[in-house]
Amino acid sequence: MKAAAEVSKLPIIDITTVKRKEKRKQTLAILSFMFLALFVYTLFILYPILSTFIYSFHEWNGIEAEKAFVGFANYSELFSDPTFWQSLKNNFYLVGVSVFVQIPLGLMMALVLNSKIKGQRLLSVIFFLPYLMSTVAVGLLWVFMFDPTNGPINMALNAIGVESINWLAESPSALIAILIVMAWQFAPFYMILFKAALVGIPEELYEAAGMDGANDIQKFFYVTLPSLIPMLISSSVLAVVGSLKTFDLFYVMSGSGAGTSTSILGTFMYEETFVNFRMGYGSTIAAMMFVIALISVVIIQVIDSIQKRKRGIS
Amino acid sequence: MKKFKVLMALVMAVVVSLLAACGDEKTSSEGESSKESGEKVTLNLWHFDPGTREQVYLKAIERFEKEHPNVTVKPLLIPNDKYKQRLVVAMAGKNAPDVFATWGGGYLQEFADSGKLVDLTNEDIDYSRFVDVALKNSTYDDKVYGLPLGIATYQFFYNKEIFKNNGIEVPKTYNEFLAAAETLKKADVYPIALANQPQWPGAFYLMYLADRIGGEEVFQKAYNRDGGSFADEAYVKAGEMIQDLVDRDAFNPGFNGLPYDAGSARQMMYTNKAAMMLMTSGFVNNVRDEFPEFEDKMGVFQFPALEDGKGDPTNISAGVSPVWSISKSSKQQELALELINELTSVETGTDYADMSGTPVAIKGVEPKDEYVKTFTNWINDANSIQFPYDQTLSPELAQLHKETTFKLFGKTMTPQEAADAMEKKAAELEKK
Repeated sequence: MKAAAEVSKLPIIDITTVKRKEKRKQTLAILSFMFLALFVYTLFILYPILSTFIYSFHEWNGIEAEKAFVGFANYSELFSDPTFWQSLKNNFYLVGVSVFVQIPLGLMMALVLNSKIKGQRLLSVIFFLPYLMSTVAVGLLWVFMFDPTNGPINMALNAIGVESINWLAESPSALIAILIVMAWQFAPFYMILFKAALVGIPEELYEAAGMDGANDIQKFFYVTLPSLIPMLISSSVLAVVGSLKTFDLFYVMSGSGAGTSTSILGTFMYEETFVNFRMGYGSTIAAMMFVIALISVVIIQVIDSIQKRKRGIS
Repeated sequence: MKKFKVLMALVMAVVVSLLAACGDEKTSSEGESSKESGEKVTLNLWHFDPGTREQVYLKAIERFEKEHPNVTVKPLLIPNDKYKQRLVVAMAGKNAPDVFATWGGGYLQEFADSGKLVDLTNEDIDYSRFVDVALKNSTYDDKVYGLPLGIATYQFFYNKEIFKNNGIEVPKTYNEFLAAAETLKKADVYPIALANQPQWPGAFYLMYLADRIGGEEVFQKAYNRDGGSFADEAYVKAGEMIQDLVDRDAFNPGFNGLPYDAGSARQMMYTNKAAMMLMTSGFVNNVRDEFPEFEDKMGVFQFPALEDGKGDPTNISAGVSPVWSISKSSKQQELALELINELTSVETGTDYADMSGTPVAIKGVEPKDEYVKTFTNWINDANSIQFPYDQTLSPELAQLHKETTFKLFGKTMTPQEAADAMEKKAAELEKK
């Protein structure tokens, strides 16, 4: 009610031209179309984010009605908590693997599918299959694959004369093992994105390049790759945000494991919140995850716009 | 553009106020409906036990519903790990289940301290039917907040066939135990199966060793903070003995990476690859479900005595589960009370003992199952019963206990460091 009154008050202040009025109408129309989406967005995204930040300033066990306001105490504790730094470090490895392994792997698979080889359909199913499986199933499957005594991976290693590795039991092999699975599971996602983008590259560009005497490698670097840059940027954003949020695969493959070599922010947050009854501290971790993801995305976007401007000028 | 932003903000404000209104409406209507309904009543019950234990609960619910034809009980099974998360969220909100199961101890105490549970002390419950120590597990400040049903004892399960083929007698003392491990290793069998990824299976060793080294007072004094310490030399020694077992290759390789629920440790037992496993009595149930043939060659023995230890070798470790509690937000507390009475009745207890391979916390139950008979005798003969640390301690300290023990097994922490970390945290929490 109050808001509606204010909306009608607003234009009175500066009704100067008809143009403005029209613009206002337009804005309202846009907003009315957006309302439903905005409503859902507010309910499920903005409101939880806001409450996370509010909780993060409280000492709260998650069940009591009373929350004690503690200011930045949770934050100062977080920054002196070695588990946080360990988890953050692991998350950065994850981001690294996502961006520098998953995306190139996805691109490679997309290129294979885009070339005219036999069995393309079969390959596309095989490539895409891991992404279709539920993460819990994938995690368990690989736990058996990495089994120290009966696992196929160790058996294969033994067959070529390498000693068994206690994959998930030791550091750093546990982290490496999970990262391998991450890459295996999520590379197909980027493959689909790149496949769609590859289809969108006009054939004429290749023809023109061919006429200029470019070979296949040159075609890739001077036609394909530049055309894919927008998709590479959005993939990196997805990869960075996605890997900061990761939880399930680590949870299945290594337990919650806070304070251990495979602890990540997601599992750390879960444990503090739901196992240790520290909703406030858990929210602080969640809030930091949000801030880090936000900063990373902003950085990527800024780099992108700088690149665009450079290209525009030259 | 600026105006657009202002408008956006306003729309947001409207949306939020609408949301708030929605929320209020819902709760008020809920309250009314329950007041009016004297006839059809639904009780929600949450638990975490699949398989035969669930069958036992369902049978108890059936009996309860027969007595109360107007009541429907809606049981909900939520698997172990998700259970804690769902319960915390539900108890914080307004949708808590009327009746729910926990493990008692420090976990349940969080809810009790937050005023979310019905105080059962003076309710219509015949307390004489419960085993005293088990009831203590859900009693805080002399107030009872939960009724126990099962007591899962922790002991070694072993493969009789392998023992016999290698001329090994059931070890009574720790040195005999170590000697048996050596013999088994020579026979190309993993002496002990361990899947320690969830961290509690390894914690059993610390708990038992500390008890055998220094007796039950070590934990009790440290826990009650009256002169004891988690940095007690018994804990340091226990840590050293765990690492000694690791150094002797007494366990299967890669144990810290194996999830227990996925079954890799049990599989090693079933396939004669490993000879012993320290596990809860629930393993009996697993065997019957997964590999019944194994029962013929399965034997049990208690954690061996330590030659130079102070602990009484009849001391046994056991976990109470499930413990039934009623949430304060329940609108049918009287019915809920009758339901938990039924869930811990002699009849339910008898079913539980016969079907789950686990002793019960209820007196007057005559178990037919051989294993349950043995376990029950151990409980009755025990000088003291040690409940698992991770259920007794406050959640934060419990977590640290599991984590440090896990690191002891992985040899990424020394026994002294682990003990000191525990004591530091305990002292810190005591101050709060």
